[in-house]
Amino acid sequence: MNAMTATPVEQARTAARSRYFRLPGLRRFSAVYLWAAFLILFGWLQFHLFFTVSTFQVVFSQSAVTAVLALAFLVPLTADTYDLSIGEMMSLTIVVINWLTLHTRLPIGVVALLTVLMCAVIGAISGFVVVKLRVNSLIATLGMSEVLSSVQLYISQDHQVAGSFSNLFVDVGNDKVLGIPYLDLYMIAIALVLWFVLEQTPLGRRMFAVGGNRDAARLAGISADRIIWGSLIASAAIASLAGVMYTAQVGAYTSDIGQGYLFPALAAVFFGASQLSQRPNVWGTLIAYFALAFGIQGLTLQFGAGAFWVSPLFQGVALIGAVAIASSRGALGGGGDSRAFRRLFRLRVAASKASDQR
Amino acid sequence: MTLRITRLTKSFGAQIALQGVDLAVAYGEVHALVGQNGSGKSTLIKVLSGYHQPDPGAEAELAGRPFQLGSAHAATAAGLRFVHQDLALVLQLSILDNVMLGRTYPLGLGGRIRSRVAAERVRGYLHQVGVDADVRLPVASLSPAERSAVAIARALSDTGAERLLLVLDEPTAALPSDDVSRLLDAVRRLREEGHGILLVSHHLGEVLDIADHITVLRDGRVAASVRRSEVNQRGLTELIVGHSLVPAEVVSHGQRLAGLAQEPVLRIRNLRGGRMTCLDLDVLPGEIVGVAGITGSGRESLASLITGGLPHQGQVEVAGTMLRPGQPHRVLAAGAAGVPGERARLGVFPNLSVRTNMTISLLDRHRRLGRIDRRGERGEILDWIERLGIVTQGPDAPIQSLSGGNQQKVLVARALRTRPKLLVLDDPTQGIDIGARAQIHEVVQRCAADGIGILLISTDSDELAGLADRILILAGGRCARVLRRGPAVTAKLIDVSQLEASPEPALAGLSASSEGEP
Repeated sequence: MNAMTATPVEQARTAARSRYFRLPGLRRFSAVYLWAAFLILFGWLQFHLFFTVSTFQVVFSQSAVTAVLALAFLVPLTADTYDLSIGEMMSLTIVVINWLTLHTRLPIGVVALLTVLMCAVIGAISGFVVVKLRVNSLIATLGMSEVLSSVQLYISQDHQVAGSFSNLFVDVGNDKVLGIPYLDLYMIAIALVLWFVLEQTPLGRRMFAVGGNRDAARLAGISADRIIWGSLIASAAIASLAGVMYTAQVGAYTSDIGQGYLFPALAAVFFGASQLSQRPNVWGTLIAYFALAFGIQGLTLQFGAGAFWVSPLFQGVALIGAVAIASSRGALGGGGDSRAFRRLFRLRVAASKASDQR
Repeated sequence: MTLRITRLTKSFGAQIALQGVDLAVAYGEVHALVGQNGSGKSTLIKVLSGYHQPDPGAEAELAGRPFQLGSAHAATAAGLRFVHQDLALVLQLSILDNVMLGRTYPLGLGGRIRSRVAAERVRGYLHQVGVDADVRLPVASLSPAERSAVAIARALSDTGAERLLLVLDEPTAALPSDDVSRLLDAVRRLREEGHGILLVSHHLGEVLDIADHITVLRDGRVAASVRRSEVNQRGLTELIVGHSLVPAEVVSHGQRLAGLAQEPVLRIRNLRGGRMTCLDLDVLPGEIVGVAGITGSGRESLASLITGGLPHQGQVEVAGTMLRPGQPHRVLAAGAAGVPGERARLGVFPNLSVRTNMTISLLDRHRRLGRIDRRGERGEILDWIERLGIVTQGPDAPIQSLSGGNQQKVLVARALRTRPKLLVLDDPTQGIDIGARAQIHEVVQRCAADGIGILLISTDSDELAGLADRILILAGGRCARVLRRGPAVTAKLIDVSQLEASPEPALAGLSASSEGEP
């Protein structure tokens, strides 16, 4: 028996090894190619404007906050759970920090920490609604999002809230080291932690398993409910960190932040899910996000200041295109095309009723 | 004669599913179609309903008018109506909307639905099948028998007074036993109204109870077509199985394996839940205990009840640990591993690789400094790939790239690498190729030799006859019979036992009411 089976296993070993020497495929690395294409295109069109250190610094420093928000969305998505409240979670953080610095004498570090903890608690409430009340995550977090928006309006009374911040805090949000904005370093640090957890630890493995097939995960001994609950707490906390970063960079709260940040984050995660390992993943998300960001920057330079309509158009097309690619590859959730879309829009209430029937 | 089908042949590639089948069903009669799994019953129904195209040469006519087989439209136009096993009802919608689904509502001014007229009409159809319920109730609030009746009412609904030929595919398989007789009453009522009924069923009891004429399919051919008065249960069983029954060495339920002093790895007492009404069962270390039973007998719930997929009532004890209901991770910790029945729905993670699929239920073994040591993990997986002869491009190949049999072997490896004391296999070789089947059988025997207790739940009688030391035949949610391993225990005997053990509807009504089944 040994002699019989040894050969295929040897083949399997070499096959496994040769995987690492494959050239980057057009599909798995399409975001990288797209990024390069934008650089070449706009470099050619707008050489003096586009290929400047400041363009790169502007894109990278403006993008760090949204990229972190994208990472917040990514975490529960690995477990096939949607958190649409991250945008409002971020702006809630901003208004709370500003308000607290105005109305208390707490040091800014304590304020930031308290706010992040508060958001984690809100995430736990979303988790309760999703896991215990069995509300579909799309609905639960959309509802939570509105509630959070109302809290912001109450605190801010629909006015700008500008807190007073120490110079240190402002530096934390705006300084650079070797030309790299601090904010990007925070982003990379968060990305590294998430990459480690999602790709290297048993916890990450279990999250993907829950995302792939919740029933099978339960039977394999995984507490799917706890994983979903935890992922929603994590996404709330990370979204709150994005809010802290925004406050450090920009400062004041205005009522138009929030939902505007959600969409680019979603687009990046879904586009990223068609990249690299072809499931929701950290580096794919970041690469996809920056490819899109450079495209927008290039278009803005090309069409001038009047091109405020460019960004949403671009993000919208990118989101649809990315989900179409990801769905046809089965990168979202368990199945192919139709299944991925059903996952996007189905009600868990209906699904659980149907499974009771079986 | 009303429905007449002649020389129906259907082949899938080299495999012939139906060969020269003739069938004649008259209006005003209940015609039962019986046969074992794989005898061609479902293929026949699928050809009738237009899902499959028959091979050339088949002819069909209804009430003297020929119609084309293999076309759903032609079948409906000719007057055939189908109620499939899964009923195809939308649970959230009302009875009214379900019956009117895909039909034209009576419309009033400006395209408004005239609800009162529609409700009146639907009430009429429901009355025909003997259900008296508010048509505005959602179907989800109905009992299983009432749901079947609604599905039948829907089949009746788009005709008016015309006579129909109704095809009922396993209408009672999903019903609790006390509901069966109510559904059969509805079928009788339809017969009295002059409709023709073609009833597909596994339950010989109900077939003998209600049918006027019985056609037996065996290996794709009509083995017999007889009047009800010409056969009894034993005769019918012989026709289905295709040989004279050998008297069997039958051990009655309740007798245990004697002389073994070992503690059982699985001890089940008074197990209830799903379709199970009451089951006692022991599995000793190294013993292979088979479980058989037709659909609806409780067989399909047993694995989920033990492994925590369904919450159970009663006692389930694995290697001395009492299991709490519905907690799969505690089941694993107690030392029981399962290979689930529906591979795609309950087993495989389609987004993960072979390696991650295999190790998911026990990752701590390769944990180093909080992360997974992939080299160690890959090494172990290569070992399992070799041991079970899994054909894959490598440990990192996507699980979806493997054949069904090899995916199943991955699931077996997932269970075995937790070093279980008890292995629960639910139809482990269903739908996989012969080679993989043989390999899985070999693994099962090796595990038993190593002292793992094995519960083998299977619809494959050959598998049970070949492997099991003891076979429990389930019927009506309880153990009806126990077959001890011996030369007399053959696949045929297991088939026969399952058919004979199916409870007669009249008796089932009594026993279920005394149980107080939900």
